[in-house]
Parts: sequence; structure tokens; C-alpha cells
Amino acid sequence: MKRYVRLYLFFLQFSFSKALEFRIDFFFRIAMDIMYYIVNIALFKILLLHTPFIAGWSDQQMMVFVGCYLLVDAINMTVFSTNMWWLPFYINRGELDYYLIRPVSPLFFLSLREFSANSFINLIIAGCFFFYSLFNYSQDWSLLSLIGLIILLINGSLIYYCIQMLMILPVFWTQSARGFIDLFYTLGLAMERPDRIFKGWLRILFTIFLPFALIASFPARVFLEGADFSTIFHLILVSTGLWLIVLYVWKMGLKNYSSASS
Amino acid sequence: MLEVKNLTKSFTTFRKEPGLKGSLKALLRREKVIKNALKSVSFKIEQGEIVGLIGANGAGKTTLVKILAGIVHPTSGEATVLGFKPWERDNEYRKQMSLIMGQKAQVWWDLPALDSFLLLKEIYQIEDSLYKKNIEFLADTLMIKDQLKTQVRKLSLGERMKIELMAALLHRPRVIFLDEPTIGLDISAQKAVREFMRNYQSEFKPITILTSHYMEDIKELCPRIMIIKEGQFVYDGALSEVQKMMGDEKRLTVTTKEKTFKLSVPRSELGVKMSELFTANEILDLNIHDPSIEDIIESIMNYGIKTP
Repeated sequence: MKRYVRLYLFFLQFSFSKALEFRIDFFFRIAMDIMYYIVNIALFKILLLHTPFIAGWSDQQMMVFVGCYLLVDAINMTVFSTNMWWLPFYINRGELDYYLIRPVSPLFFLSLREFSANSFINLIIAGCFFFYSLFNYSQDWSLLSLIGLIILLINGSLIYYCIQMLMILPVFWTQSARGFIDLFYTLGLAMERPDRIFKGWLRILFTIFLPFALIASFPARVFLEGADFSTIFHLILVSTGLWLIVLYVWKMGLKNYSSASS
Repeated sequence: MLEVKNLTKSFTTFRKEPGLKGSLKALLRREKVIKNALKSVSFKIEQGEIVGLIGANGAGKTTLVKILAGIVHPTSGEATVLGFKPWERDNEYRKQMSLIMGQKAQVWWDLPALDSFLLLKEIYQIEDSLYKKNIEFLADTLMIKDQLKTQVRKLSLGERMKIELMAALLHRPRVIFLDEPTIGLDISAQKAVREFMRNYQSEFKPITILTSHYMEDIKELCPRIMIIKEGQFVYDGALSEVQKMMGDEKRLTVTTKEKTFKLSVPRSELGVKMSELFTANEILDLNIHDPSIEDIIESIMNYGIKTP
């Protein structure tokens, strides 16, 4: 474990020294993401001009929720996105070879090797908005509930990563260029909606099979409305299940890779 | 020790006729083609031995190397390297093994080599003192000390190959698979890499399998060669013995007014063949010589072994 932390510190260090070389890209990314943040915040602000509540949440509560998913998105953009972008190319071109011969988990390497130092400023901006929305929230909250929220959001980021992996890993068998990643981006919008708006089979889909609602909406709800046992149980069960599925599919994928390549 | 018994690898591909029509057809019914990359291969290599693996493109060299490096699962058969089954990817095995593919880079392009080496130090958990010693030794013998702090993408192809070698040998592996280490290098860089490998081999005594298209590499480094053809070994033995495999042949290089051509003739028929040549053509130049090792290996690769 300690070794993996040290390895990750190397990845961080490498990524920062690389990123500083490409300045235009650096500033462009910041501008692009700030626009994305403004659009998201504005969307709910405009809706709230016409109605006092969305899915039972007030303006202030909505902003806490928006802060939550923007934060998860920023974590994903900095920690995972570059790796997720390259993974299908590596699989298709048979370039996993060098990862498979190292005495280190190839899944760890391929998921975390490229930290997007370019997006790091965005992580700070999203973090600032997250805390702004919390301090702007007029109800009292304790330090403990804040820590709980952050843990749930980290768990949310992992869920986000897992769903993404499940859309990419079929590339092992289909040899298609991007797997089902486009589907991921389309359905991914579900993360940016309060989970109460999903009813019936949509609710089953987005809370169990493709649990986008568990990424930011459940954590926000636990923070705003208090933790109830069934929600926490649901979160733990689905997250663990998802993680085990990813590990299993990854293992099968590698098996297929090594028996198909020559 | 490295031991391989009846190792077989086959995989399925699908045949598709060219063009859109072929694609549509393949959508409905795909034609399965089973390709046998390795057909029941067996051999043994002792610690400290360096063996040249020779074969045409697609003969199965890379497949064999990838199985032994643990990347590819064999279809059947056994292989043990240092007591491990490679494809089980035991960390203890991976720590003692190294694979160098001349056509694929393993160091990070945008960083100076020393940064990549630090990462490898962590990955292979190399002790500080051994790490320092190895860097010094490798950089000295490869004569690349001054380039270690330059970003790898700014280096020349030859320098990059030296960096790759350093990266692969930092953890002082006991088994080394070298796949085309001199591909694309100029003559002096090739020489430097060869010289280095020879010294490394005699100093640290790893098991090494070297594949190369350059006969020069093989001749300089490998006392023993294995020739593979369509997934099967056609020769496994001393390089110096390979000449005997061809029996008593002579090569003729004949130049007439129209063209220059080469002939292979058994020694006993040399006289008859020559008089035939002289009656049929106006000969400007004639050269008789023993076949070179390159000639012999090429002929084994193409036609198999002729028994004298």
C-alpha cells in the first residue's frame, strides 16, 4: 500500500512537470471548464427563478448538490479522464505488454498513471464552489457531516470511474475504437440531476445498474436530510458490487487479451 | 533455468474478403481461420546462456518470447522459467525478468531518463545502493552519462535504445528477452549495443534470448541459435555447427554479358556444372565460394534442413 502511494506521488510529479511545458493547453482547459461550471450553475439558477423547489430542494440546497457533482466531475477530470481516454487505444493496439510484465498491478498503473495536472486548477475552482455552497447553506451542519459528505463523494468518484471502466472494457472483445463510452457520456447527465426525479424503472436503472444517482445526489441527500440506514446500506452494497464486477471483467479481459494476441 | 516442453499456441482470426462487399458478407457469416503460431516447441536454456532466436516475420518468434515473458497464455504445453510458470505473472518472477522490444518504448517520452529510472526503482523495489551502482555501471558502459537529464524525446534513436536497455536492466534481471534491440540503429550504435550486451552477459550471467533480423547481432553474441519456421524449430544447436547442416555445397556467382546470378552446387557436380555454364554463356566473371552463415540460415529458413 505504502509503495502504491509512493508510486502515485511519482505520477503526480511527472504529470506536473509535463503539464507546465504545454502552456496554451493549460490555459485553454481552465477557460473551458469555467464555462462548463457557469452553464451548470446558471441552469439551476434559472429554473429556480420560476419555482422555489426542485425535487424538494431549495435554491441553497440545490447549490450544495451542484457543488457536489462539479467536485466529482473535477476529480474525475484530473485523476482518471486522461487514463480512460488512452485505455481503449492501448488495448486495441496491443500495448498492454509493458504493463503486464511489471511487478505492479496493471490496473493501478493504467487507471492512475496520467494525472491531468492541466485540470488541477479546475479542481481547486470546483472545490471553492463546493465550500462556498456549503457556507452559504443557512442550516447548521457539523464537521462530522462534512467529513461524511467528503467520504461519500470520494466513493461517488470511484463509482463514476467504475461505470466508465465497464463501458470501456468491452473493447477487449469488440476491438471497437471507444467501446460504449459515448453511451456513458450521454447517460452521465443522470449524475447531474437530483435522484428524486427518477421514478419507476429509471430509478432502478440509475440507482442500481448504472448507479449515476449514487455519485453526487445520494451523498448530497445524506448531508442535507440526514443519514438513514437504508440509503447508506444501498450505497455500500452497490459500490462494492460494482467494484467487484470491474475487477472481474478486467481479469476476464486480460485473459482474453493474452490468449488472443500473438 | 528455462525449460519449455511441447509448447503450442494457436489462435483464431477471421478472414474477410476485400472491399465493402466482403465486409457485408463477413457481417453475416465469418470465416474462421485457426492460426498455429507455435507447434509443440521444446528446448532448455541454462543460466548464463545467451541464445539467438531466428526466423522470418510471422514464424512465431515474438509469440514464443511473449509467452515466456508472461504476456501471452499458451494453448497447451509447459514452460518453467526460474521455477515459475510465466503466464501466472507471479511478482517474484516479474521482478527477475526483463523484456526489451526494439519497436516499443517503455520510458516516458516527455521526461528525462533519470525520472523514469526513479519510477522503475520504486516499481522493482531496488535498494538505494544497488540502484546507484547500476546507474553508474550502465551509464558508463553504454557511454550515455550526459544524456540522462535530457528529455527522452529529444534524444537520437541510438541514444534512446541505450536508455531502453538501461531501463530494462536496472533491476538486474536474471532472465532477459531482447526482441530486435538494434532495429533501425546505425552501424556504430549497433556495435555499441552489441558490445554492451556481450559485457553484460559475461559479467552477470543472465538467461538471454535474443531475436534479431541482423545476422551480425547473432554472430557476435550467440554461440547457440534456434531457427524457427512456421511455428516449429528446424534447428537448435551451435552456430558453428550450422555450416555442416548444408553438406558440401559451393556457391557460384556468375556474371555474363546480360546479368549476374547466383547458383548453389554440390561439390561433386562442380566440374559438370561449370562446363555447362561455359558452353551456354559468355562468362565475364566467375566466383566460387563457401556459403556464408547468412546464406545457410536463409536457406534453412526457406527450405528447411537438407541432409547431406
